[in-house]
Amino acid sequence: MRNTSLRNTWLIIKREYLERVRTRSFVVLTLLAPAIMTVLLLLPAKLATVGQKARHIVVVTSTAQFGESVRQGLLSASPDNGDDDEAASSGRNAAKPAPDHQYIVDVDSNPTEAERADLRGKIVSQTIDGYLWLTDDAIATGKVEWASRNMADFGERSRLSEKLNRIIQYARLSRSGFTGDQADLLLKPIKVESVRIEPGRAATDSSGKKFIEVVVMVMLIYVTVLLYGISVMRSVLEEKNSRILEVLLSSATSTELMIGKVVGVGAVGLTQVLVWVVMAGAFALPSLAMQVDLDQLKVSPEVLAAFAAFFFLGYLLYSTMYAAIGAISTTEQEGQQLQFLIVIPLVLSVTMLSAAVKTPDAPAVVWMSMVPFFAPVLMYARIVVQTPPLWQITLSLSLLIATIAGVLVLCARIYRVGILMYGKRATLPEILKWLKYAKN
Amino acid sequence: MVLPSSTESTAANTVELVSISKNYDNFVAVNNLSLRIPRGGIYGLLGPNGAGKTSTLRMIIGIIVPDSGQVLILGEPMGRAHTGRFGYLPEERGLYKKMKVMTHLILLAQLKGLTSSEASKRAHYWCERLELSSWMDKKVEELSKGMQQKVQFIGAILHDPELIVMDEPFSGLDPANALALKDTLLELANNGKTILLSTHRMDQAERLCQSICLINHGRVVLEGDLGQIKANYGHCSVQIKYDGDASFLRDPKLVQSFNDYGNYVEVRLTPGADTQELLQQACSKARLDRFEVMQPSLEEIFIEAVSKPNA
Repeated sequence: MRNTSLRNTWLIIKREYLERVRTRSFVVLTLLAPAIMTVLLLLPAKLATVGQKARHIVVVTSTAQFGESVRQGLLSASPDNGDDDEAASSGRNAAKPAPDHQYIVDVDSNPTEAERADLRGKIVSQTIDGYLWLTDDAIATGKVEWASRNMADFGERSRLSEKLNRIIQYARLSRSGFTGDQADLLLKPIKVESVRIEPGRAATDSSGKKFIEVVVMVMLIYVTVLLYGISVMRSVLEEKNSRILEVLLSSATSTELMIGKVVGVGAVGLTQVLVWVVMAGAFALPSLAMQVDLDQLKVSPEVLAAFAAFFFLGYLLYSTMYAAIGAISTTEQEGQQLQFLIVIPLVLSVTMLSAAVKTPDAPAVVWMSMVPFFAPVLMYARIVVQTPPLWQITLSLSLLIATIAGVLVLCARIYRVGILMYGKRATLPEILKWLKYAKN
Repeated sequence: MVLPSSTESTAANTVELVSISKNYDNFVAVNNLSLRIPRGGIYGLLGPNGAGKTSTLRMIIGIIVPDSGQVLILGEPMGRAHTGRFGYLPEERGLYKKMKVMTHLILLAQLKGLTSSEASKRAHYWCERLELSSWMDKKVEELSKGMQQKVQFIGAILHDPELIVMDEPFSGLDPANALALKDTLLELANNGKTILLSTHRMDQAERLCQSICLINHGRVVLEGDLGQIKANYGHCSVQIKYDGDASFLRDPKLVQSFNDYGNYVEVRLTPGADTQELLQQACSKARLDRFEVMQPSLEEIFIEAVSKPNA
């Protein structure tokens, strides 16, 4: 008996998997999606840099000597990007500080109103792109004028003011008699580094990296659930509509069919994700390795295990819910209308995410992370930030597994009764009645 | 090719239903229904649309569970172990449209416990027999409705089941395919398989079935051996062409009434009278050219049975 069950389930899994993986659309999507993603990610950046010419600006200062030092300051790399430590660990500015926006800088030490009008005329006639009014007066009042045709580039303005601040502070310090080294020391920025204390070890880990670890999980669950959950639903509906189910039910139980479907279609999704991850790894790792200390990418084995467990179970839970939706609806449109049942818990877990990362042991977060629908995101987030007590992890995992089994059995019943009385979408009282019918 | 037969059970009846009932909401689909399907032969489950035929078949193969009563398969309560011993062709046909015919047949047979190689061997045999050989590597959706139905039929018998349950097997088939199906069913029946088919077409059942069960509104109207039912049921008439003494026509124990058409007389027998006795009487009195027992058609029986109150 047990063997028959396993055998049947395996046969269904195999069918669902092979029939899907062998289709042309699967192969095309698997191979093409990364290419499309790459283009979509790279195109905007490429577009922004293409056609960007060196900008010709004029720096107006009271003395030519100060003008020259401003010119050199502007042409050098920006000071905050120069801090290697910060760049590497935050991961955000992983790229080596590129020589900033290319400028052609002219120095003008003739700060008269006539000159100002003349420069404005040059901007209009496009001879120059902009000017900086950096006279001693302007510096004294703290208000420096940056004039250009294009006011939309906020990034440029903030970059400029950062640089100018540093240049002017440096100038003020040296005017007060500090040497260059002393000025450097005074102006050296400091950085707060977070250290996570765990029994037995202390690890330097930026919170940014932790957040990324959690967000990657959330994104993966989101994308896989939405991409493949719907195909579980579709396959349930296909069976209902093609009436093949009646034949299958004369050989296999509805529970075997349900498990076979969820696992089989689920495996298709995992296969695709795996292919993508491998492809991404093959293409992205070499370039990443060149820039970032690889140690920074390393994730502890416990976190990796938690990631695998919660991702897999979360995916399974949500796919099973999709199967249940397929079981109670009669058409795909109906099913899609019911999708909110799945999206809402997903969105809720995301909204609670920041709370979970900030206060992983607040009672509300602790209990929410036990709820199976939120556990894949919240419990995983807690594990990443601060290892929770073992009993909590165990409880959360057990509840998750029990819920998956429960939803599976429930929807196997709905499925069996629903198929034999098709025609319309079931109402809640009807579903409850069906469950009663299907008791034995 | 002789198909190996699975272990035979010794129970006298392949299927026995003991007062089963099934209600959907307020609708009674099957009401206290009992029947026995003897081993071997073709058994017809007859009745008008909505009589409860499909519900009854589904309970026999265990897709739905009766609210009360018992289903015995080969003498034992219906259970998981029986699934490999019957084949089922539902009324609403369904196959995975994107699957190839051969792969699909193998899947169905594997679910019934066959190994993949054995399933493939048998599928080839049957596809050849039912003229589907050239379609084996096509996708199901490329086949015509009739061909899909043949594929599904093969799927139902591939594992050589003892009991073959078919819901309206002839609907949707053209005459040539219906003939091929009929021949196959007869052959299987002659090999000792039990075939249970439902139909609302009386003429079909009359030609094929040894035993029938007539149901209406979820209840049994008539059940048993078809010949017996016909003999027992209602009035039997005999057409006689004779020469000579016609006094045998006036025996009230045998003849209720007669109608002389000139060339022959049509005799309506007294209920319970034996045609053989009439034959002897007639033989002894007159010279007979023709003596033909005219049995009422199943259709007449059916109409009369359901029009009777409390039938």
